[in-house]
Amino acid sequence: MTSTTVSLQHLTPATRSRAVDLRAVPSALWSEGLKLASVRTYRLILILNAVGGGLISWAMAKFITDQPMYVSEVGFYFTALSAILASVAGILLLTSEVQHGTLAITLAAQPTRWVIAFSKAAIAATNGVLLGVVGMAAGFGGATLAGIDMGDTSSIATMTLWALGYTSMAAVLGLGVGMVIRHSAGAVTGILVWGLLIEGLLNQVLPVRAARFLPFLAGDRLLALDISLETPQAVAMALSQPQAAAVFGGYALTAIAIGTILLYRRDTA
Amino acid sequence: MITVAGVTKRYGTKLAVEDITFDLPSGRVTGFVGPNGAGKSTTMRAMVGLTRPDRGEVRYQGILYHNLAQPSRVVGSVLDARCMHPGRTARNHLRALAASGGLPSRRVEEVLNELGLDAAARQRVGGFSLGMRQRLALAGALLGEPQALLLDEPSNGLDPDGIRWLRNYLRSFADRGGTVFVSSHLISELSLFADDLVVVGAGRLIAVDSVDAIAAGEDITVVVETPRPADLITALGDHGLAVESDGSRIRVQATTKAVVSQIAYDNGIQLFELTETVRSLEDRLIEMTRASAQYASV
Repeated sequence: MTSTTVSLQHLTPATRSRAVDLRAVPSALWSEGLKLASVRTYRLILILNAVGGGLISWAMAKFITDQPMYVSEVGFYFTALSAILASVAGILLLTSEVQHGTLAITLAAQPTRWVIAFSKAAIAATNGVLLGVVGMAAGFGGATLAGIDMGDTSSIATMTLWALGYTSMAAVLGLGVGMVIRHSAGAVTGILVWGLLIEGLLNQVLPVRAARFLPFLAGDRLLALDISLETPQAVAMALSQPQAAAVFGGYALTAIAIGTILLYRRDTA
Repeated sequence: MITVAGVTKRYGTKLAVEDITFDLPSGRVTGFVGPNGAGKSTTMRAMVGLTRPDRGEVRYQGILYHNLAQPSRVVGSVLDARCMHPGRTARNHLRALAASGGLPSRRVEEVLNELGLDAAARQRVGGFSLGMRQRLALAGALLGEPQALLLDEPSNGLDPDGIRWLRNYLRSFADRGGTVFVSSHLISELSLFADDLVVVGAGRLIAVDSVDAIAAGEDITVVVETPRPADLITALGDHGLAVESDGSRIRVQATTKAVVSQIAYDNGIQLFELTETVRSLEDRLIEMTRASAQYASV
């Protein structure tokens, strides 16, 4: 180890301002991006997403024979699970920092909480888009490999945008949940149980007009896949894609807003 | 100059710290001592904006921490050397930290070199020893070339060479005009390089003074055993020495065994035992904080 011999300068430190905070955003984004890219967990989620998307889409295309299946539809089926995985990744963006104590270092380096919250949300959303792209690519690949017809391709581009909106908002929702719960296992278990189990049960017992506003059921409507609608009444009352985006985005924004307020108010261990 | 003024923090009904007030001048190493649960960590967290005090404030050259445009350039802190993601490499840990603080990435290589971590830069932190983590944490604190360092138990896990290097580094940092605030349980270690001490116990400030002033309270006690205690007490009293008697054993304050031995010899008094004990700085600090210690050995 070596020692430097430069004298320390005692200049009066610059004070924070709105402009300083805004200028800090690109650095904070870069930092959050580095954190995401430098940990294997997120790569594993990406691989799980790709493998799962390919396999499940292939299996659905291959083995569901009681209704016509087209690549242009099956390719999007896995996006609902990509959205759940994006939520998990979003959760971990915050909770793994709490678990390993790095949130304290982050907040000591950048005390302006909204800069951290905004940067994490932006990186979570970008990661959600990435998971959506990979999930859909794998889904289309799996369905194509199963040898089914392509079907109507005219709406694929539009559908892709809605699907990416879903996965990016799901990641932000997950981040918000993580910011509130601050515990990896609790938050991940909570969102998996809620998304994969509880909403399904609630969908059975709640009136359709109420059930359609449940977070992931609303999110699934962004994909506009009739496969998720089980009754004629559900079809009739289904949210349009813009409505579904507003409802699901509302959940995501609410979660991130509460999480940001808590980031300001809570002490950090 | 760092000013800690009236910092008070409660967690529910439990008082963590109350009215902690002290200044940390530039160019000096200040030790922060107190038993477990005394409020050292709470105070240090409040100093870097991680704990919001119920009352009081901390200012860096007159500016509150959260109003500093680039805190990393003003103060580098290590509050827990375990605070790093085990799956991230040392270099990536520092790169992310540098970016958080808006610092140039060239500083990453500089501090890796300065802390002797070049060879470990590509290793994942999960495989690091506590000593290596301490070095990496210190590297993180130095990224912004700060004017002040706040370190909580920085010598934990360091080998003797590392401890000596750290001691010299912090001393040199202060000699170059920096402010060093370092908590440690190793009072004897602190006494080797600290200029001042802040002593806390049960969340309250007990003393703020220079090491020399606190150590000036050091005194020597001579324990002596004799078959003629009454005669010896009289002889010692004639020489103005304060004594406490416990049967045949006598404790003589503020003197040396040479003096006591000479007085006994001059008066023809036989001695069975003659022992000199020096109360060290450590003893003084333990005594100062004893009443406030949450957990004490028996």
